[in-house]
Order: sequence, then C-alpha cells, then structure tokens
Amino acid sequence: MTTLDTRLLAETPEGIAIQLRPAGAVPRGLAYALDFLIRLIVWGVAAAFLARIKGMGSALILISAFALEWFYPILFELLPGAATPGKRALGLQVLMDTGLPVTPSAAVTRNLLRVADFMPVAFAFGLLSMLLRHDFKRLGDIVAGTLVVHAEQVRLAGKLPEAEPLAPRVPLTRAQQVAILHLAGRARRLTSERVDELAALAEDALPPPDYAPGGASPAPIRPGPRLIAVAQWLMGQR
Amino acid sequence: MAMTPRQFEARYESSWIELERGLDALDAGRKARRKAGPFPTGATEPPGAARVAQLYRQCCEHLALARERAYPVHLVARLDALAARAHQRIYRRHDLGLGALRQLALYRAPAAVRALRWHLLVAALVFVLPAVVVGVATWIDPHFVLTVVDAKQVHQFDGMYGPQAGERLGRTSGDDWTMFGFYIMNNVGIAFRCFAAGLMLGVGSLFMVGYNGLLLGAVAGFLVTRGDAERFFSFVVTHGAFELTAIVLSGAAGLKLGHAMLAPGRLTRTQALMRAARETSPVVFCFAAMLLVAAAIEAFWSSAGWIAPAVKYAVGGCCWALVFAYLGLQGKGHDAAVLGASER
Repeated sequence: MTTLDTRLLAETPEGIAIQLRPAGAVPRGLAYALDFLIRLIVWGVAAAFLARIKGMGSALILISAFALEWFYPILFELLPGAATPGKRALGLQVLMDTGLPVTPSAAVTRNLLRVADFMPVAFAFGLLSMLLRHDFKRLGDIVAGTLVVHAEQVRLAGKLPEAEPLAPRVPLTRAQQVAILHLAGRARRLTSERVDELAALAEDALPPPDYAPGGASPAPIRPGPRLIAVAQWLMGQR
Repeated sequence: MAMTPRQFEARYESSWIELERGLDALDAGRKARRKAGPFPTGATEPPGAARVAQLYRQCCEHLALARERAYPVHLVARLDALAARAHQRIYRRHDLGLGALRQLALYRAPAAVRALRWHLLVAALVFVLPAVVVGVATWIDPHFVLTVVDAKQVHQFDGMYGPQAGERLGRTSGDDWTMFGFYIMNNVGIAFRCFAAGLMLGVGSLFMVGYNGLLLGAVAGFLVTRGDAERFFSFVVTHGAFELTAIVLSGAAGLKLGHAMLAPGRLTRTQALMRAARETSPVVFCFAAMLLVAAAIEAFWSSAGWIAPAVKYAVGGCCWALVFAYLGLQGKGHDAAVLGASER
C-alpha cells in the first residue's frame, strides 16, 4: 500500500514502525516568518522598557537581541511541544528522525547551523536542500539528525457506520477485505451517491441487491449500504 | 477463524485506555500529581511508570497484529498514535539538568576538545600565521595596515588604544554595560557563524578564523609602531585567553564538519556529518561559555585604564594557563570512557 506521499517510517526497538509526516518548505517558511515577527515585537517591547534603565539597560537590550536571535528557537524546541510559537501555530513539531523528542545538543546544532542554511542569500541552501530531499530536511536538520513534522495525524477513515452485517457473495482475498474496510471507514466523509459509485466497483463481491436473510423480497438495496454491511460482517459482527 | 477486529477491540481496549491514562498522568507531571494529592481509591489511580512500560509493549504487539491482520484503518490509526505517544514518553532522553551540565563542563567538553587536536592545530595555525605575517609586515611598514583595513578603522584603533584613550581602553564610546552587551552579541555571534560556516567544506570556518587573525595582526603591528604596544597588549591579554581560544575552537569545530563532508571515511556523508556534529557539540557549548566569560572580562576589566599593565599581564597570564590547563588536563584520564559514552 505504498502511496505517493511523504510519510516516513521510524522504527522503534519494539519493531514497530511509527509514521512521521515531514513538513515541507511552505509551512516551515511561514512558521519562520511568524517567529521572526514575534521576535521583533518581543524585542521592540523589551527594548522600550529596558531603555529606561540607566547603564545596564543598554546591555540588556543588546543581550536580549542576541538571545532572541540564537536561543529563542533552541529554548522553545526543548520545551514540551518541541516547537517555536510560529511552528506551533502551523501545527509543526521538531523531532529526532528516530521519532523521539529532540535532544538538547541536536536542538543547538540545528539552530546554530541555520546560518549555513541562510547562505548565500535568503535561505537558498536550506531551501535547495528541502526541495531536493524527500524528508524536507534543511542542512541543520541533516547534521543534527532532526526532522520537522506535522504534529497532528490526518484521519481520513473513521469508525464504520452502523449496519446489519451481510456476508459477501464470494470469499474475499486480504487485499479485497482491506479495500472494503477502507472505503467503509471513509463513508462518513463522502456523499452516499459517491459511496454507491465506488461500491459499485466491488459489485462482484457484494451480495446481490435483493438479498435478504429472511427470504422475503424487499426493495433492492443500493451498493453503498451493501458494502458497509459487508464491512461490518468482516469486522466480525455476525 | 482468526479473531475479528471487533473481538480484538473488545478484548484489549481496556488496556489501551489504561495506557492513555498513564500517559496523561505522566504528561501532567510531578507538580500536578502532588497537587492532586493521594488518590482516594485504588480504582482511579493512574498506572505507574513500570506499568506504563508494560502496557506500551503490549500496545506495540497489538499494533503489529492489527497491521498484519489488516484491521480497519481507524483501529490501526488509534494504536499507531498511542504507540507513538508512549514511545516518545518512554525513550525520552533525560540529559537536561544540572547533573548533565556538570558532566559536560568537567568531562565531556575538555574531552571533546582534545579529540579535535588535529583540527585545533590547523585552526590555530590559520589564525596565528596571518596574524604574525601581517603583524610583522605592518611593523616594518605601517602603511601596510591599509591593505587590511581602511583608514577610518585605523583612525578608530588609534582612538581606542592611543594616548587619548585615557581611562577607557579599547572602545570609541559606550559604558561598560553597553560594551558587555555588544561583546556578547558580536563575539558569540561571530563564533557561532564561524562554526556553521564549516558546512561549506570547512572553507568558511578557515576563512573566518584567518580573517580574524589577519585583523588582530594588523591592529597589533600598527599600534606597536605607534608606540601604543603596552596599552594594546595589556588590554588584550586577559580576555584574549578566552576569546582567541574560543575563536580557534569554533574554527576547529567547523573544520571538523567540513572534514566529515570531504572525507566521510567508511560512513555515508550524512552519517559522517551527524557523527561530527555529535562529537563537536560539547565544543560548541564550551566556546560559547568561554566567549561569555571573555565578554565580561573585556567590558569590565580589560578596559579599565587605571589598572597597572603589570597587574593585567599577571592576571592575563594566569588566565591563559587556566584555559590551557582546563582544555588540556581536566578529566584527562576519563577521555575514552566519556567519548565512548557519547557515541550512543
């Protein structure tokens, strides 16, 4: 069931593959712009207050500019949630490419090396690296072994709709069972007409339209509900 | 007939819910647990850490079964999310905190610096040679300084270290605190950039180290010919112990990255880079800390014109000895163990 998407699998010591969804250049660029804006505002406000302190104030203004430039991303990526406010707003998260939380030294490495990604102008190297790689890592990510992922999983299929179970007309192969369960799981997101249309492709496997366990002859049932009934049968409701 | 998805869910769902509750409790943290106080009955108490680990292994097994038996997507997705969350919680590395910092300062940083000795040697030569060559050239012919810096900057140096500098050495304007902030922002930023420039096959780091050496040589040579040698060297000697060493360290760390890219050995280039970054990260912490120390010294001690140069030379000499002793000797017997431990 390999698809043309960008999912990555990270294997745990238990032999389980965890799915990661790397984030591409656009959401990451937007997150960076947002972070930049936030830093600018924070620094502006801080500078306005610090300017009133004689002597030490000017030092604190410079130090806060330094800290915001270098330590803002490191700090936020090490806090729970592992994302700067900008990344959080876009639903992104920084992980190790093993799927584990980012380690302090990896967070430092990836953020210091942002300088290398910036070269020669306007993040050209970083962008090039993200566009060329299937896991969208910039140089800092490659070196630190980190990955920026979409934190939320996409759920296309949900619970199956309730229905009386019906046995399929013929024994089904595994692949057929999987396809029917998948479609039934997505039935709630589709219009009933579309479900019918798709279910009609499986007509050979579905029970006939006038099938009724009681033996009476009811009105013909549309393919969609019959497919869902078969899915329920496959789920084990007999 | 194998177990149907429905039976599977009915049979094991309680253990998944228990694991979820355990993870919620762990996420809420120690503080929340203390606030909540002892749980009134055993039934509402979330599972402890050992139980969570056990439930996690069970959950992994269920996930593997669910995938293998092609159970419906919503069931697999639920187990998948649960396993991923528990995995993050269980395999989290606890290397934040004072203990880790102590370990870093006492063992890992000096060991990592010593492991870089060849890169350090190259970076030091790239720093010292241009400094000496330009310094001597400027000393022989003061006009040579203009090949490195422009006339306006030369004039600035004159103001900073010349006789008119008076009580405040090494600056054109600004009080101690402003300069402290400036040194932190400027110097640490330069060192970070110097390290990152190593990703350009190491050339970037070498260039930045060499350029800084060149500048230092030009300024020193020029001021010596002007007769300001004592003011300049007494200014530089103390914080130089930290600052110049840190610049060379950052160059060496960057060079290590570049070296890993150029000659990855039996690893892939990516693996070699990741390994080099792991090995040099204690060095990064080390030079950043040294530059903070240097900034404080430069702002409050080096610039003080009222301290006799002899005192500054003595203190500066001690600082150099301290830095070299720390990098060269601290925790020396434990290098193999420390470097081996950071491999993992």
